[in-house]
Amino acid sequence: MKRRSWPLLGVLAFGYAFLYVPILLLILYSFNESRLVTVWSGFSFKWYGELLHNRQLLDAAWLSVRIAAVNATVAMILGTLAANALTRHGRFRGRTGFELLLTAPLVMPDVIIGLSLLLLFVAMQQTIGWPDGRGFTTIAIAHITFSMAYVTVVVRSRLARMDASLEEAAMDLGARPLTVYLRITLPLIAPALLSGWLLAFTLSLDDLVIASFVSGPGSTTLPMVVYSSVRMGVSPQINALATLIVAIVALAVIVAGWTMRQKPDRAQKRGA
Amino acid sequence: MATIAERRLSAPRLEPWQDPKAAPYVHIERVTKKFGDVYAVDDLSLDIFQGEFFSLLGSSGCGKSTLLRLLAGLEYPSAGRIFIDGVDVTNVPPYSRPVNMMFQSYALFPHMSVEQNVEFGLKQDRLPRRERAERVGEMLDLLKISELRRRRPEQLSGGQRQRVALARSLAKHPKLLLLDEPLGALDKRLRENTQFELVNLQERLGITFVTVTHDQEEAMTMSTRIAIMDAGQIMQLDTPTAIYEFPSCRFVAEFIGSVNLFEGKIVSSDGDRVVVDTRLGRPIHMRSFLPHPIGTPVTVAVRPEKMRLCQEFREDGVNQLKGTVEDIAYLGDVSIYRIRVGDGQLVEMTLTNIQPRTEQALTWEQEVAIEWSPTSGVVLTE
Repeated sequence: MKRRSWPLLGVLAFGYAFLYVPILLLILYSFNESRLVTVWSGFSFKWYGELLHNRQLLDAAWLSVRIAAVNATVAMILGTLAANALTRHGRFRGRTGFELLLTAPLVMPDVIIGLSLLLLFVAMQQTIGWPDGRGFTTIAIAHITFSMAYVTVVVRSRLARMDASLEEAAMDLGARPLTVYLRITLPLIAPALLSGWLLAFTLSLDDLVIASFVSGPGSTTLPMVVYSSVRMGVSPQINALATLIVAIVALAVIVAGWTMRQKPDRAQKRGA
Repeated sequence: MATIAERRLSAPRLEPWQDPKAAPYVHIERVTKKFGDVYAVDDLSLDIFQGEFFSLLGSSGCGKSTLLRLLAGLEYPSAGRIFIDGVDVTNVPPYSRPVNMMFQSYALFPHMSVEQNVEFGLKQDRLPRRERAERVGEMLDLLKISELRRRRPEQLSGGQRQRVALARSLAKHPKLLLLDEPLGALDKRLRENTQFELVNLQERLGITFVTVTHDQEEAMTMSTRIAIMDAGQIMQLDTPTAIYEFPSCRFVAEFIGSVNLFEGKIVSSDGDRVVVDTRLGRPIHMRSFLPHPIGTPVTVAVRPEKMRLCQEFREDGVNQLKGTVEDIAYLGDVSIYRIRVGDGQLVEMTLTNIQPRTEQALTWEQEVAIEWSPTSGVVLTE
C-alpha cells in the first residue's frame, strides 16, 4: 500500500494549478455568454461563431501559421548545415567567429534583433530594391535568423553524441560521403531535426517583438492582432481562438506521443 | 587461389616473410602520421603478406589504432606511402579501398536490422537483389546468426553484435580485413572461444587479417606474426614464439609476459657462450648468438617458468642462486613464487602444481636454491 503524503500532494496540486489554471480559465470564458471577460453569464458558442466571421483575426492566424511553417523548414535546413559544419569539419578557418555569430541570437534582446533587421531591410530596399516593402518575406527572414540558432543547438548536440564510427563504418563499406549522410547520419539525427522544426515553428508563432519591427501594412501576425486588441479591451473571440489553438496543440502532442510509444513495441514484435 | 592450409602442405616450410621473392600484400613505406605535434606513427615501415593473421600489439596510445585507420583510409599519412596488393592507396578514400574493417565499438547501424546491416556494403556495390540476398544468407550462416536476421542491434548481446559486425565486414569478400580490438568487449570465456573461431574463419576464407589488440594473450594465440609497438614505432616484429622466447630489447621482454631481468657487464665471451657479471655476486652464464665485446653493459632476461628448484646447490654451480621465499601466488594450475636473492633482488619463479597445494614443499620464509639453464634466456643490449 502506497502511503499518501498530503504535503507532497499539496505541492503537486499547486504546481499544476500554477501552470494550468490560467489556461483553463481562458478556455472556460471562451464559452461565456457575456461580452465581459470577467463576468460569467451563461454557456454559449456565440464567440466561436463570431470568430468564424472575423476576417482580420483569421487572416492573421493563417499568416502566422504560414510564416511559422516556412521559417521552421528553412531554419531546420540551415541549422542542420551549420551544426554539421561545427561538428564534422574540424577546426576550419573562422570557426570560432561562426560559432559566436550563431549563438548571438540566443542571447541578443529581441528589440535589438528587430531594430537592426528593420534598418537592414530599409537599407536594402533603397539600394537593391529588395525586399520590396515589408511583410511576409521580411518577417520570415527575421524569424529564420534567430530560430536557426536554436535548431543548430539542438541538432549539434545530437550530432556530437552520435558515434562517429558509424559514419566511418558506412564509408568503409563503400558508401560515398553523400550516401553516408543520407542513409546513416540523417536517419539517426531525424528526431533532433523534428524537435528543431517544432521549436522553430513555436518560436515564430508566438513572436511579437521582432515581427512588429519588420512587418508592414497588411501583414499583421496573430500575436500582433491579439496584443493590439487586448489594449482596446479583450473580446472573448480571442479566448475562442486560443481554445482552438490549445486543442490543436494538445491533439498534436497526444498523437506524437502515441506514435512514439507504438514504435519500439512494433520493433520488438518484429524482432521476436 | 590456394588456401593457407594447402600452401602450408605444398610449399617447403618457408613462411612468406622469410621468402625474399614473396611480394607483400600490404606494403607500408616510411609512414608518419602527426596529430598536431604528436607523432602517432613515426617513420614506420612494414610488410604484411597474403593469408597472414597479423597483430599490432601495444599499450594504449602506442599508435596501433592509428596505423589500422591509415590502412582503412580513415586517416591519411602525413608522410610516406601505403600499397595494398601492389596499388598505391596512400590517398585513396576509404570507400574505394579493397579493405573492410571491424570497429571496436562494432559500429552497427542502429536503425537497420541485422540483415540490413550485412547488406549495406553490398548495396553500395550495386549488386543485384538476388545476389545480395544470397550473400547475406551465406554470411549469416557462416557466423551462425541466421535466426537473428530481423533483430535490431539494441536487441543483441555483446557476442551477437560482434558476430554481426564480423559478418558485415566479411560480406563484401575483402582481401584484407582490419579488426580493431575484435574481442575487447567480450567476457573472458566468450573471448577464448571466439579466438579459435576467428583463426579458423581466417584460414578457411584465406583472407589477410590485421588486428589491433592490447591483449598479449590474444595476440599470442591467434597471430602468425606480431608487431610490438611503442611510441609510433615497431619495437619487434616476429612470430609469437620468437617474440616470447627471444625478445629483442628490454621493452619487449617486459611487455610480453613476466620476466626476471639481471643487469651486468660482459666479462668473457667465447663462441656462443658469454659470462655476465652482475650484482648477484656470482657470474651468469648464458648462450648468445650475437657478438658481445667485453665490458658491454647488458641485461639478462629469464622467464619465471624457466626457473627451477635446484636439486644440488654447489658454490661453483652454473646460474644457481640462494634466497628466501617471500610471496606465493597460487593460481590453481601454477604457483608464482617471489624469492629474495643475495643482493636483495626479487626473482619470480613459476612452478606447475604437480602435487596438490596442501602437499607442496615450498612455504613462506623458506630457504631455497634456484637455477636456470644458460640456454633458457636471452642477453639484451638495449
